[in-house]
This record gives sequence, structure tokens and C-alpha cells, in this order.
Amino acid sequence: MNANTNSASWRTPLIILTVGCVILTLSMGVRHTAGLFLQPMTMDHGWSRETFSFAIALQNLVWGLASPFAGALADRHGAGRTVVGAAVLYVIGLVLMSQAASPLAFDLSAGVLIGLGLSGTTFAVIMGVIGRHTTPEKRSLALGIASAGGSFGQFAVLPIGQALITAYGWQSALVLLACGVGLIAPLAYAMADGHKPAAGGGQSIAQALHEAGGQKSFHYLFWGYFVCGFQTAFIMLHLPSFLVDGGLTANVGMTAVALIGLFNIFGSFLFGWAGGRGSKKDLLVVIYAVRAVAILIFMLVPLSTASAWIFAAVMGILWLGTVPLTNGLVAQIFGLRYMSMLTGIVFLGHQLGSFLGAWLGGRIFDQTGSYDMAWIIAIVLSVLAALCSWPINEKPLARQAAVA
Amino acid sequence: MKPQWRWFLAGAGLALLLAVLAMIFMAYQMPGLLLDWTNLSYCG
Repeated sequence: MNANTNSASWRTPLIILTVGCVILTLSMGVRHTAGLFLQPMTMDHGWSRETFSFAIALQNLVWGLASPFAGALADRHGAGRTVVGAAVLYVIGLVLMSQAASPLAFDLSAGVLIGLGLSGTTFAVIMGVIGRHTTPEKRSLALGIASAGGSFGQFAVLPIGQALITAYGWQSALVLLACGVGLIAPLAYAMADGHKPAAGGGQSIAQALHEAGGQKSFHYLFWGYFVCGFQTAFIMLHLPSFLVDGGLTANVGMTAVALIGLFNIFGSFLFGWAGGRGSKKDLLVVIYAVRAVAILIFMLVPLSTASAWIFAAVMGILWLGTVPLTNGLVAQIFGLRYMSMLTGIVFLGHQLGSFLGAWLGGRIFDQTGSYDMAWIIAIVLSVLAALCSWPINEKPLARQAAVA
Repeated sequence: MKPQWRWFLAGAGLALLLAVLAMIFMAYQMPGLLLDWTNLSYCG
């Protein structure tokens, strides 16, 4: 497919942004419902919760590990083909998950196939297309809107998934969700760009990797995102338990999760918009610093319904605000040619942090009987991430400036 | 499109979005989801 022929008049930046948002809504939203299937699946199959959670942990790792490769595929052969292929894997994974009768089959379907599907239908690939089709002035805002689309999916599809399970049972619910993910394949037609931006035009993948690896700013972005993943996974997984342990009701925990999801939509948009008007790395410093302060205050004040909800709302605003800023910085510093691959590598850091945050939170609780140490680690990491983001050099690389 | 219509449609769209978000937020109070809240603590 030739990009220039594909860049038909109807494929405007607005269309690409809108379709990208819908794809992210479907992909991120369906993935977010995984937890709802834990109880019915483990009960029906007689599996342990560890069996189930291992497959989901595997999914997160595969998602992260495959993201740079999905990004490289999109950069080299076009995002449309990559998104279609990943959507097909995602659908097959969901259908096989509904039929999985053994832990191994479950690991392969829910873990490997869906993880691969996610790598090609989420941020790295979609943000790359959107980034390539927007002007530098509007890029951060566009990435913020796309990020808000993913946030909306996480917020909206969860109750839909629950309603489907209640109405049709978990197996049919999985097939119906697979039908929803299947819509991504035709939508990918709008994302079909073989567009080759001028900046970095003659650069090979190996050269791009070598160049990025030699830049301290790239490493800072990677580790900042690692901290983001650690905090979001730890809080989303363990906050409800923490609240109930502190004497609050399950209802308060559920509302806290909903508040994070709701405010996340506005936060993603807000930081995308702000990133287009000011320094992106300064905003990252603000996000990580405010997270540290918010967690510290939450730990110091007596636990109550009000403190839990205020904390959830504040964290929600800061939740995925890092996505448009981090991806925007990658595009700004390294150019658009290999944006998907490079953001995929940085996203790997996020997923490694997620894995550690989810696992370490449980481990610390099992060892000490409280989450205190995990909260302290989250604060320290947040301060380190803020310090790490401060020296990021936002200027485009000399090579990129020369080509442009 | 006249500017006043543009503002009207933008306002209507925003109001609709807020209404949808409010409805989804209310859906988080549904009993089934509440009963399954523990599942989230395993898988996010």
C-alpha cells in the first residue's frame, strides 16, 4: 500500500483522530474488563486465582515486550496492516479465552494472543499515526484527545462488560466483546498510512535505535514511564483492598475506582492541551511531584470516605496525563519516522513498572500485613521520576533539525 | 456555519458527553459490579 495514494482526501487529521480514539476506546476498554471474569471463570473451571492472575500478568508483559516490534512494523509497513493483524489476534484471543479448558490454553489465549493484540491496537501504533498527521502545534492536544479516548474506554466498557456477563454469562460476554474488538479491523482502514515524514527520512531502524539509546533523555523518559506504570498498577490493583482494610465499605472502593476513571478522561485531555502550550518535560515533573505529595498527604490524613474520593480524583487527573506528554516528547526529540517503535520501547518501561507495582504490592502486604512500605516506595519513586524528568532535553536532535 | 451555531453545537455536545459520563458513573453502583469489585484488585 502506498501511503501517498492512501492519503485520500477523506483521511483528514480529524477523521484519523476520531477513528484513533474509537480504536483506543475499544481496545483499552475491553482489556480493562479482564478482572470481571476472574470469579466466574475460576469457579467454573476450578482454577485458583493465581492461575487467572498469572495469565493477566503475562498479558501485560507480552503487551509491553511486543509494543516496540508492533511499532517498528507500523513504522516500516504501515499502521493499517499492523492494526488489522493485531485486531485479528485480539479477537482470536478473546474467543479462545471463552473456550479455554486448561490453564495452558488460558495463558496462550488471554496472556499471549490478547497481549499481542493489545500491542498493535493501543498507544504506540495509534499515537504514531496521529502524531504523523498533525502539525507540531496541535500534536500534543491531539495526543491528549487520543489518550482521553483510551481513558474513556477504560471507564465506559467496564460496566458494559459486567452487564453482558450478568445478562448472557461469561462465555457469551467474551464472544460479544470479541465482536466489539472486531470493529477495529475495518476502522483500521482510516489508519492506513505509509506516510513517510521527511525528518529522519534516510535513517534505518538500527540507526534510530542506536541514536535513541545514546540519548540520556530517552533513558529518562523510559524510567519516568516505569514509575508511572508502577504507581498506576499498584493503586488500581490494591487501593480497593487498602480502603476496605481501613474500615471503609466495598462501595467506597468501587466509587474510588470510578472516580479515577472519570477524572482520568479530563486529565489526559488537560495535559495534552497543556503540553502544546508549554514545556512537556516540566509538566511531567509536575505530574510526578504532585503524585508524591498526593500520596504523602493521603497517608498522613486519617482515612475516610472523603479522603479516599479526593485522593482518587486527584490521582485520576494525573493518571494518563503522562501519555500525551511522553509520546509527544519522543516525537519532538527524535522525529516522527520511528515514533511508534520508540514510544513502544518507552511503553515497555511502563509495563515493566506495572508488573512490579502489581506484584510487589501484594508481596509487601503478604510479608508485612500492610501496604505502608509499598506507599513509601511509590512516593520515593515519584520523587525520583520528577528529578529524572527535569534534565530531559526537549530540543529536536541535530540530525532531525538538519533533515527538517 | 455561523459562529453562534458552532458554539451551540459545541455546548450541546459537551452537555451530552457530561450526561453520558454521569450515567456511566452511576452504572458503577450496579450491584453486580459491586459484588465483583474484588476481581479488579487482581487484574486492574
